[in-house]
Amino acid sequence: MPSVNAFRVAPAGAALLFLMIGLLSGCATTAHWPVTAQLDQTPSHQLDTVPFYPQEKYQCGPAALAMMLNTQGADVTPEDLVGQVYLPERHGSLQVEMVAAARQHGMLVYPLKPTLDDVLAEIDAGHPVLVLQNLRFGWWPQWHFAVVIGYDTQADEMILHSGTEKAYHEPLTAFMATWDRADNWARVMLPPRELPATAEPLDYLVSANDLETTGQLDAARDAYQTALATWSDQPAALLGLGNIAYRQQHWDEATKQYQRLTADFPRISAGWNNLGEALAKQGCGEAAARAHACARSLKPERYDDTTSATVEGNGPADCPVVDCPIP
Amino acid sequence: MHTIRQYNRPIATLMSIVMLLFTLAAAPASASVVGTGELLTQQRADIDREDLTRMLARDDVKQALSDMGVSEQEVRDRIQSLTPSELASFKQQLADAPTGEGVVGIIVLFLVIFIITDMLCATDIFPFINCIR
Repeated sequence: MPSVNAFRVAPAGAALLFLMIGLLSGCATTAHWPVTAQLDQTPSHQLDTVPFYPQEKYQCGPAALAMMLNTQGADVTPEDLVGQVYLPERHGSLQVEMVAAARQHGMLVYPLKPTLDDVLAEIDAGHPVLVLQNLRFGWWPQWHFAVVIGYDTQADEMILHSGTEKAYHEPLTAFMATWDRADNWARVMLPPRELPATAEPLDYLVSANDLETTGQLDAARDAYQTALATWSDQPAALLGLGNIAYRQQHWDEATKQYQRLTADFPRISAGWNNLGEALAKQGCGEAAARAHACARSLKPERYDDTTSATVEGNGPADCPVVDCPIP
Repeated sequence: MHTIRQYNRPIATLMSIVMLLFTLAAAPASASVVGTGELLTQQRADIDREDLTRMLARDDVKQALSDMGVSEQEVRDRIQSLTPSELASFKQQLADAPTGEGVVGIIVLFLVIFIITDMLCATDIFPFINCIR
């Protein structure tokens, strides 16, 4: 029955044709450099501070992470990191593990916006950028971590430590195609006293909070201080500093930070509530009760009035006066 | 394929229990300190809300809403009652949409269609909508 055969062949042929068109058009899209004044000034830039480790079989994750961490002075080799970030059965590393391992080395991990502009801005600031690429296609992926260390707009190339290639010059179009297929995943990893060039207040504070919640309290404190020095209008930085002091049972210090918070941002109920908690720990019952009442009057649905903090011991003579601005 | 499907329901149940436990663990008791993350979530939600409300001022969005017979004030009220996670998922859909026409389409889809289907009890996305059955 030739007619049936013809019927069967036609869709397959059509599919193949579509595939070819898809592939061709995929190749045909050329990537362009962003038009910025910065790029006019520095048409090319290469960081020479980033050490290179050639990857072992499949182990681009540990190698790339070691390059990122060594740049910031952390003394680790890819072998040290294999146990933390390499999954033998998957022949690879997951993004979450790369990020978590960097945090365990006290680094602040900042997610870049998915644009080439931000990658270039970080390079210009001297920060290598960890990127994820998909070297094949969405339906048959080959994930690959690489470290962007520079760019050359005249040669139309990105410069990466990638796999076994040191300072590999990758055509911009190829870089963008493979990076797009990995959802433009890009991270900088910096000591918490250093600010990413593209840092936005809330995103940076979320990264700092990730350090706090994973128990890297010293690093988190540095990051909150950095945020506070950069943006004076961010209450979360003060709350974070207070919360770290509270967690370390430094009640005086916690009270001090919460007092700064309530003085600068009297409408933030969390500041009053936490001030009440810290004061209670110091034994200042009356002041604690006033602070809690203030939090409740700001946000009654959040704070339960039946529960109030247990006051511990007798307070010092110099308990602070809590002055709630809300009647 | 068939064997994988068989496990869908138990896995889904297990996952929802795990997620519930995590939420419970993360929710701070009222008589303790408020975590830094909670304040950050709130602030992010405030910013998302402002962004969304600002979008309502666009002429094409206004037009689309009035074509659907929904008043701007109604939508404004609804934006106020969205939770941080609802706002975040909405923002994500907007970010994934192509610029121009797509944005209006998604705003209408999300704010109007889902609100209507909620009212018809077909979906239950917005807890603040009482369905009419």
